[in-house]
Amino acid sequence: MAEKVSIVVLVDAVGALSDRTLHNGNLSLVDDSPAGSRHQGTPDLITAVVPGQVVQWTPIHVDVQTPVEIEAIEFLSGVAVPPSDAQVFPPPGDPAVPPYPVESPAVAAPDATGSDGYDNHDLLVWEGVVPDYMVPGVPYRYRLSLKLHDGPNSVLHIDSPALLRV
Amino acid sequence: MAQQHGIIVLFDVENALRTRSLDGNTYWFDNMKFLGSVGEGTGQLVTIVPGTYFLDGSQATEQVLNWLPAALGAIPPTVPRNYLAEQERAHDRRTLEQLAALGGDGEVSSTEVSRLQQRVGRRPRKQAGGRGLTAAKLLDVTGKATSSAAAYNYPAPVITDITGQAVSEKIIYPAQYGSPDMVYDGWYWAATVDTSRPGVYPYTMHVQLHELVEQNDELVWQSVDLTCESSLKITSDPKRNAFTGAGLGVLPLPAAPPAG
Repeated sequence: MAEKVSIVVLVDAVGALSDRTLHNGNLSLVDDSPAGSRHQGTPDLITAVVPGQVVQWTPIHVDVQTPVEIEAIEFLSGVAVPPSDAQVFPPPGDPAVPPYPVESPAVAAPDATGSDGYDNHDLLVWEGVVPDYMVPGVPYRYRLSLKLHDGPNSVLHIDSPALLRV
Repeated sequence: MAQQHGIIVLFDVENALRTRSLDGNTYWFDNMKFLGSVGEGTGQLVTIVPGTYFLDGSQATEQVLNWLPAALGAIPPTVPRNYLAEQERAHDRRTLEQLAALGGDGEVSSTEVSRLQQRVGRRPRKQAGGRGLTAAKLLDVTGKATSSAAAYNYPAPVITDITGQAVSEKIIYPAQYGSPDMVYDGWYWAATVDTSRPGVYPYTMHVQLHELVEQNDELVWQSVDLTCESSLKITSDPKRNAFTGAGLGVLPLPAAPPAG
């Protein structure tokens, strides 16, 4: 088992902003999972994972002077997720999870994206451990929201990628 | 992923040459206002450089600065770089055609000849040791050859060095690099940044402008070296896990697999 799976998010920020969509070839997802991922290079990437692996998402911009950050990764539960909802969905009513330690900050965490009074998503590291309770063979789709600069229309998302336990 | 910084420095060349100073004759503009740069479009730009570090203290984001000079009154950067040479050649060709046409009549008026002589224009010399200029005919703002020193295009300003506190304290490591982009004559200045020491660090940009002077009955591009200042504001914040707000944890998958 690979200890880590990297998912790279390739983004044409100018194309996405002018098309107002991450489709039309403005986004491409590629991972390095050895376990048989599907739809490499498309927004419909299904990444094959196993419990205990660390999955990390990294955005890369094709134009080096355009800002491209991940705004949120929200796993979809089957019902539609309203946009800009809470980022974290704790599994409800299951005391057995999480089986991996979650470090809690010793002091109250400052705003996770606060940088000298400005919102800086470059501070966020998008990675987490695949939980044991994940059901094999079922794609867990997630909403990937990207932030391109900071205006009112800067956040775009897709609901098509997924993790799949093999 | 943090983007690279673009810092445009726009020069009022004519006024700078007249006053022999860049004070009030530069307009700075960068792409980092949304993260805290201040003074966009003025001579007092402070460029924000938001550094990040991992919990072990190591630098997490590589910040890259790119400086792009531009000039008021120069040929717009959107025009192909061989514009001057092309215009010069086309102009010479037309003049030769007209000269040939004159010769056919047998009788050539001296006024016609002197009109054509004026059309030939003038080719200023490059000053010995001058940088960044290729010898070309003097063209006016409409792209026609001119022999009048009053009606020419200023060559684009050339950055010759970047120094100052930010450099001497090893906050930035500027250097000039070759570039395939002929908009900037195939060269550009860039720097990487050590973001581990937050603070405001001024730096000095050394710029060469070119002034057309009459010397021994000849036009010469004389270089004029001037300096201007700007600042970098370095900040540094720790990277955090986006799901937990702190360290690594499990992915927030729903407890039950999604329906369908």
